[in-house]
Amino acid sequence: MNVRLETLGLTTVVIPAGRLDFGSANGFEKQLELVFAGVGTAPAAVIIDCAALEYVSSAGLRVFLLAARTSQRASIYFALCALQPAVHEVFKLSGFNRIITVHADRATALAQAPQGRA
Amino acid sequence: MSAAAVPEQLQQASGPVRRLAEVLLVRPGPYARAFENLILGLIVLSVASIGVEAIPALPAWVTPALRVEEVIVVAVFSFEYLLRIVVAKGKFAFIFSFEGLVDLLSIAPAFLLGLDTRWLRALRLLRLLRLLKLQTHILETTVAQRTRELAQKNVLLEQAQAQIKAELEVARALQIAILPATFPLRTGCDSAARMLPATTMGGDFYDFIELPHGKVGLVMADVSGKGVPAAFFMAVARTSLRGVAAGHATPGACLAEANGVLCAQNPLDLFVTVFYCMLDPITGVLRYANGGHNPPYLRRADGSIEALSGAGGLVLGAMPDVEFPEHAVQLGIGDHLVLYTDGVTEAFNAAYEPYGEERLVAEIQAHGAGSAAGLVERICHSVTAFAGAAPQSDDITLIVLSWNYTVPALPQ
Repeated sequence: MNVRLETLGLTTVVIPAGRLDFGSANGFEKQLELVFAGVGTAPAAVIIDCAALEYVSSAGLRVFLLAARTSQRASIYFALCALQPAVHEVFKLSGFNRIITVHADRATALAQAPQGRA
Repeated sequence: MSAAAVPEQLQQASGPVRRLAEVLLVRPGPYARAFENLILGLIVLSVASIGVEAIPALPAWVTPALRVEEVIVVAVFSFEYLLRIVVAKGKFAFIFSFEGLVDLLSIAPAFLLGLDTRWLRALRLLRLLRLLKLQTHILETTVAQRTRELAQKNVLLEQAQAQIKAELEVARALQIAILPATFPLRTGCDSAARMLPATTMGGDFYDFIELPHGKVGLVMADVSGKGVPAAFFMAVARTSLRGVAAGHATPGACLAEANGVLCAQNPLDLFVTVFYCMLDPITGVLRYANGGHNPPYLRRADGSIEALSGAGGLVLGAMPDVEFPEHAVQLGIGDHLVLYTDGVTEAFNAAYEPYGEERLVAEIQAHGAGSAAGLVERICHSVTAFAGAAPQSDDITLIVLSWNYTVPALPQ
């Protein structure tokens, strides 16, 4: 799995591509920890753009759960967007769409993200 | 140093020059090391200076400096050459050896006055071979030492690995051993279950639980992640569910309490998907609640198939105080219920294609009229045939339950 980052003001957009499974989950978890810590100051919002994310296993779901917890502790807005149908299905099935905000596309997600620290 | 290891030539009686030669060239110690380094340094310096001389338009001070350097180099090389002859056991053998000739040629040009033999000094390049020889020696010693160390470490690693492997196998065997072998005996119920463990330690489990009033609880669950953490969490999850099941008349309340228990003892932030249903074997009513698990399939006796996909709840262990919606379905005579984990539908073949729900449904449709054990067998066979030689990365777990209860005739 490949991960790209884009910074738009105080928002960090994380763009994973490929398969988030047991093999890639650990590395992605570490990357997200770094994203939440930020460089110098923490971001106000972290959005994961899943447009290129093909597959999420239960180990991958756990990474999203941990990220949601971290964001809650640090009061950082956290959301996912642009889920592929198969991944969206996994989110609905596992009930994760109830505890993690999921937006249809990146524009909607960015519009919801706070522009400064809460 | 023991006497036996002292080179033979040191044991000969000798004068002061010889003793000096021995200290500088033969006897291992700080003097010999320093002298060796001095010679190597001068070899490099003299070869470099030959290169410098070739540069056109040098500053005026360079030429006299090079001349002084040449005198020093030749003096030291000559001194060393003589010392070597002194310590050599066979003097002529040394003089005419390759090394001896190289040493001689590297100083000879300076003594051939009147002839333009500066090009001969290029032969000093050959003395660089000594550097290589030294390097090779150091390299060989280092390699030999590292090889020995590695061999020792490898033995330790292999022992450690064998022990870990043996312990993991025990853990795996325990994990499988705690799965129930058979469905509780109930008139009209035919059930079979199977787990094909992954190559790495997975976290699937199933369970049959005896409930009050002759009811039976069925659990199909899948812990997130793999390895020892998943195995531990699986054991905790199974125990928690077993512990609370008998105290609840409805599956949703059972999952809610088990979720609370799991959230309270979840240091690794794992979670588990659980499908839990309670069967009344007399009436055929199946009440169920789903904690983030794949909805089971119900194959009706007429061959139609439906997924028990009513609204589900969150996986267990992720967040406390969540509710699990409850549903109920009436089983008919000859219906088959198929519970499975995503190890079935997400079994990948070598081309990274998943087995998928369609293939599973087709198998259930084609073979669902027979016994529960027969259907389990057909599905397992179909999945493993599909995956082929691709490594099995997740547990594959299945339960099939068929209900066939007919009211026993009253005695006449």
